[in-house]
Amino acid sequence: MEFLAGQLRPIYPYLGELYSAAWTTLVLSLGAIVAALVLGTIVAFGRVSAHRLVRIAATFYVEFLRNIPLLVLLYFIYFLLPALGLRFSPFVSALIGMALHESAYMTEILRAGLSAVPVGQYEAAQSQGMTRFQLQRHIVLPQVFRTIYVPLGTQFTMVIIASSLASAISVDEVSGWMQTAGADTFRFFDVFLIAAFVYVVLCQLVNLLHTVVGRLLFRAKG
Amino acid sequence: MDSTVFIYAGVLLKAMGTTIWLSWLALLIGALGGFILALMQTSRFRALRIVTLLYTQFFVSVPVLIVLFFCYYGLPRLFDIEISSFAAATIALAAHASAMLSAVIAAGITSVGRGQWEAAQVSGMTYPQLMRHIIMPQAAQVILPPFVGVYIRLVKESSIAALIGYVELTQTGLLIRESTHAGLAIIGVVALLYFILNYSISLAGGALERRLKVAGRPPLGARQ
Repeated sequence: MEFLAGQLRPIYPYLGELYSAAWTTLVLSLGAIVAALVLGTIVAFGRVSAHRLVRIAATFYVEFLRNIPLLVLLYFIYFLLPALGLRFSPFVSALIGMALHESAYMTEILRAGLSAVPVGQYEAAQSQGMTRFQLQRHIVLPQVFRTIYVPLGTQFTMVIIASSLASAISVDEVSGWMQTAGADTFRFFDVFLIAAFVYVVLCQLVNLLHTVVGRLLFRAKG
Repeated sequence: MDSTVFIYAGVLLKAMGTTIWLSWLALLIGALGGFILALMQTSRFRALRIVTLLYTQFFVSVPVLIVLFFCYYGLPRLFDIEISSFAAATIALAAHASAMLSAVIAAGITSVGRGQWEAAQVSGMTYPQLMRHIIMPQAAQVILPPFVGVYIRLVKESSIAALIGYVELTQTGLLIRESTHAGLAIIGVVALLYFILNYSISLAGGALERRLKVAGRPPLGARQ
């Protein structure tokens, strides 16, 4: 124990920064998740739209964003905003980039959920005289939500892992902390283990929350 | 957009080759490691299964970027060796790929019905023969689609090598942006090149998948 404390002493001064770095990672990830879900829902309805052009546009959106690296997208947004005359912090650039990137994955999850609802249910609801909004609200979305709940949880942890790239555009999150603390103390093995530990804990926290909320929501069905 | 992009077209294409080479090498090493891990994961020995679980869980739930930082900055100090940015990127990507692929390959192996194992063993086949002639040819169909997905992920992930200064496609784009006035356009072109590369891989993967199916084997997994 004493040996461990001695090993870690050079890193003590950096633990305060680690705390705020972990917060940044968490807030960035949660913000990106919420924004990506909103965007993804819109694009998912585009993917199953009756209009061919809308479908093509939505498909192109998904295919393009899924096939380029998040890092390149982050740089693009980071350089784009000032070119448009917008002055935002790197955090906002990272948030926009991650939201766009993740929205493509959310779209595919939502689309799978939407297409899992049998056509008969739409017809039945329409023959009951439901409006399109009622149909979505009471028949389709509750079922979609149930189907996509598990894959969404997996995607949430992937968002946290992906947020590590934000350090490239100088956001001080956990991987950025690792680089700074490592370069200052030369304790790369120790800071690596600490950073890895933080990521694992954050992912498991989100996992736990996802499971608990899932239990509460879907308790009736067991 | 000005002519800068066209002047640098050759450089960009060469950099794209570097990206392909890096991700391909990581895929090969990752597939080999993933295969060994998958054999361990499906083995009878509990200790082997636990070791595999720890390895895969670790590398799946930790960002590749921090593994890369560790390989590039940490490993040389820890073992007193010199590691180039290329080697560090290959190690980090391959470690991540092997964790992803072990799950994929293990799923393929377990998708082959228990009866096939027993029949092959009864026929007096050794474990390597059984794997080579009975299990792997059937598992290949289940493995291929996610395998292509992992390759595309690797191509995208290989962009992080830019962060330790390895000159692949992303880093080339950044360097050109800095040294010319091409600005955003060059990053857009880099994104487009990645898109073309990855989209071609997924199309080729789809074609290969259809060919495997035409080879006359019924879809697996359903079969006992």
